[in-house]
Amino acid sequence: MSTPPPELIELQGLFYDAIATKDPYSIQQLKPQMRSTDNLSFEQGLSAYQGSVVGKLVRALEDIYPVCCRLVGTQFFTAMIRQYIRRNPSSSPDLGDYGEQLPDFIAQFKPAATLPYLPDVAHLEWHWHRVFNSADQPSLDLTALGKVPPKHWPDLVFQLPSNSVLLTSDYPVHRIWQVNQANTSHSETVELSEGGVNLFLWRDQYETRIDLPNASEWKLLQAFADRDRFGEICARLEDSSEDINVAAMLPQWVQRGWIRGFTLDR
Amino acid sequence: MVDLTAIQGAGIGLRSQHYAHILTHQPAIPWLEALSDNYLGGGLPLHHLEQIRAHYPMTLHGVSLSLGSADPLNMDYLTRLKQLADRIEPVHVSDHLAWVSVNGHYFNDLAPLPYTESVLKYVANRIAQVQDFLGRRILIENLSPYLQFRHNSLTEWEFLATLLVEADCDLLLDINNVYVNATNHGFNPLDYLEAIPRDRVKEIHLAGYEEQDNFLFDTHGYPVQSGVWQLYQHALQRFGPIPTLIEWDTDIPSFDVLMAEAQQAETYLCQHHRPN
Repeated sequence: MSTPPPELIELQGLFYDAIATKDPYSIQQLKPQMRSTDNLSFEQGLSAYQGSVVGKLVRALEDIYPVCCRLVGTQFFTAMIRQYIRRNPSSSPDLGDYGEQLPDFIAQFKPAATLPYLPDVAHLEWHWHRVFNSADQPSLDLTALGKVPPKHWPDLVFQLPSNSVLLTSDYPVHRIWQVNQANTSHSETVELSEGGVNLFLWRDQYETRIDLPNASEWKLLQAFADRDRFGEICARLEDSSEDINVAAMLPQWVQRGWIRGFTLDR
Repeated sequence: MVDLTAIQGAGIGLRSQHYAHILTHQPAIPWLEALSDNYLGGGLPLHHLEQIRAHYPMTLHGVSLSLGSADPLNMDYLTRLKQLADRIEPVHVSDHLAWVSVNGHYFNDLAPLPYTESVLKYVANRIAQVQDFLGRRILIENLSPYLQFRHNSLTEWEFLATLLVEADCDLLLDINNVYVNATNHGFNPLDYLEAIPRDRVKEIHLAGYEEQDNFLFDTHGYPVQSGVWQLYQHALQRFGPIPTLIEWDTDIPSFDVLMAEAQQAETYLCQHHRPN
């Protein structure tokens, strides 16, 4: 391990605050430590960095949230995310990690309140982006599953694809998302009266999918997402009046790719 | 038969806009450089990268190692980079002589270092740690800073030349950055080239800058400018026909435009032989 020179720690702290947060005190402290030239003054250099840092974050969010941008218009979107960027510094070397809190920010952003579905569309876009870029995952090891003795079946905990997500919205957000893709014609409209949806986002090999599970599938997906033991799930279904045929659904899900692994919770 | 383990000639920076064109037409481009930060996850981007890698020599170029940061090295990032490098088997792995993070906050932009002896020792040590972890030599790239520290005790080229030896790493020489810096900070770019040890330069970058007021801004969104082409020829004279890359990061043009730029570089490369 190498220890940074003390002056480096101090200078980098000042530099960051002067550029990322535009802190007046840091700018004042930094200025005498920097050298201006005839072609490039301290103020121009500072401004170049300030613009570049924000510009990179703006472009990252435009890439992750294109539908939100389309729904509110570029001007509104840019003004909104500039406020978000001021309050939310980046904490990852990967720009793809930036912007996770934007859906919650939009929900609190009063000028966007006229579009009540916008935070849910943003949630959908964020998770789409994460699923699209997530690490590859092998399919279920059927041989290993076959070796689990029947007496341990109640202890099985089935795993959904990693980075898959269950989303619920009071609005038909999947349709809003669909008709606002860059390659879709503007003529299609979505009626909010179409109602809410339950969505399952996951990746089938290299294809990112938004599926609409039926009520039975949704219940089972939730149980798997909560990592409930298979025995508990079956007991719960037996006690309820719902007609959910788990024995028939499981092989379908394995084939479809919705179940990717299992553990034994003994 | 293409040798996928070495690069030569003039290559192009791989951008997602051109995946389909490259996979469909397999254009005659000698090599490609991928931005490592775009492939640290998985899915379709990595799948495309692997498909393209099967046909072209490739290098990996990143922006987030934060080699000069006072923060500890980000081992999670480094681990992901190693996994990618092990999978892609690039000819070179490179990043910048810069820092992008402090106190756990990221600029996601390349910030300059003070050029002093103590910083040099610190950065050399960090580069050595990175090379040990990756199990390979890396290339570091000179950047185009818009602010310079008053208390620098070394010029950028003195700092860089010593660092290459101290850290025992190689150089990705960005000619556009040398030109932009020379104009913005008022020095002779030939002095810069003269100071760089010949045997350390393994790759050259060329890109286009933008004029803003009375200074140059390194946007990578324009064709290579005439002054940069001229400086490139000086560099080839000194270092020989070093593999050269056309970098274009904003307002990405059609593949043909990049090919034309690469062909221009190839023409200059063919006029030079490795110096004795």
